[in-house]
Amino acid sequence: MGLEDVAIVGIGRTSFTRNSGRTTGAMAAEAVRDALGDAGLVAGDVDGMVSFQAGDSTPSAAVAAAVGVDDLAWSADLFGGGNVVVTTIGEAARALATGACSVAVAYRSMNGRSGSRFGTATEGGFAVGGEAQFGGPVGYLVPPHWMAMWAARHQHTYGSTCEDLGAIAITQRSHAAANDHAIAQQPITLDDYLAGRWVVEPLRIFDCAYEVDGAVALVLTSTDRAADLAQPPVRIRTAVDSTSAGGSWDQWPDPTQMFSARLAGRLWEGSGLGPGDIDVACIYDCFTYTVMAVLEDLGFAEKGGVGELFRSGGATYGGDTVVNPHGGLLSEGYLHGMNHHFEAVLQLRGGSGARQVEDARNALVTAGAGPYGGAIIYTTEAG
Amino acid sequence: MVDLDTPPAPRPDAETAPYWEATAEGRMVLGRCRECRRWLHPPREACPTCAGPVGFEAVSGRGTVFSFITVHQPTVPGYLRELPYSAALVEIDEQPGVRLPARLAGGAGAHVQIGDRVTLELAELAGSDYRVPVARPVADDIGADSA
Repeated sequence: MGLEDVAIVGIGRTSFTRNSGRTTGAMAAEAVRDALGDAGLVAGDVDGMVSFQAGDSTPSAAVAAAVGVDDLAWSADLFGGGNVVVTTIGEAARALATGACSVAVAYRSMNGRSGSRFGTATEGGFAVGGEAQFGGPVGYLVPPHWMAMWAARHQHTYGSTCEDLGAIAITQRSHAAANDHAIAQQPITLDDYLAGRWVVEPLRIFDCAYEVDGAVALVLTSTDRAADLAQPPVRIRTAVDSTSAGGSWDQWPDPTQMFSARLAGRLWEGSGLGPGDIDVACIYDCFTYTVMAVLEDLGFAEKGGVGELFRSGGATYGGDTVVNPHGGLLSEGYLHGMNHHFEAVLQLRGGSGARQVEDARNALVTAGAGPYGGAIIYTTEAG
Repeated sequence: MVDLDTPPAPRPDAETAPYWEATAEGRMVLGRCRECRRWLHPPREACPTCAGPVGFEAVSGRGTVFSFITVHQPTVPGYLRELPYSAALVEIDEQPGVRLPARLAGGAGAHVQIGDRVTLELAELAGSDYRVPVARPVADDIGADSA
């Protein structure tokens, strides 16, 4: 049994809000129950569980107990953020493929808006270790700083513009208008985008993901078992990762590219597909610039061509590939990218309602930004 | 008690302490392999290329703006009253690809461009004995080299 014999059979989530007033454990339990119900499974069927977090969530053992799972044959808690979403789902798939468990749940739960956030007050002065000890003291500390530094380099090297980044934000927001689950559904124009306040030049407020509270869960099992379950199975075609340059945002060789440049060969050779085969692309969009770099790296556009791809309609309905039909992290909400997988599965089931991409058969989902991340291709077709 | 006026202090470890201790004495040094002579930053106990021992050597402070940003969003304690301010990644002359984050001298830096020549100077860090690099644009690099 290989990855191609693993399917996503259930998806679940909570609402995405600005202030849940709940624990991450309670939200995770709700999302897991929702996903199991969607699959037509019960807690007693689950024997594998995995999540990821950075000290901001509830571990898998506690969530298993909260939903009544008695015995986990396999469980893991990965350390990381959006960069390890594909790793997390890939680990669940590998555990299923090797027989370590038979039904696995992968989830992410976070109070991304109301909980601990970058820029919120800390007690007393603080000291920073790791590589941040060099940037933090000079006021260069958090992801929007790094991302702006990279975007500025891209603008310098390839002549990309803020209007190009705006085209990404505008298109994705137009998609969110058809998504009741999105935290931001109001369409924006280029004037709105340009009038948005600076966060870190060259990035404005509409270039940044919309932080939310919430949880998303996926249920995975073998395609054999999936045949007896409630939903049409969505298969994994390939799942790949890349981490390099020691995870350093400062020493990474060329910030006009990201991790996606390193894994592009593995992704397309491993899947036997190319950009032209992808109907839906849920591209990790912590910031608009991530979408720009990743789409270039994976061959959806020439260097410097992503703005025109979006302006010409190539990334929306009627174009080659619909990018982030749910509005992405920019508009649906920053559930660390786990919500991208929910959307990809929903699209491949044909269950996305007003925002359904016609004849969606292959969906690409990326995770992460900068020096580390992953990519997975889901498919409706048997391997 | 929330202290929003003091910038983050570095938390040196066994690999980075010599860098920070030198800054306290007003010297800018970087890690360098004693065997293959490659510079490396952040410093490590052993060279990633040849596993040789790493020492610390003075650098010229001369470099090029690899990229820069202007921060408007209040985020980092100690910088909340200085918004907007600019920070740069400076590639040092000693070795391509070795970059240091630094404040840009002279406030929010619309007058600086990627590729501009800069000199790194050490400046006081409030609440700490260590010092941090500040990048000052060089008007005439030929003059600076011959100085």
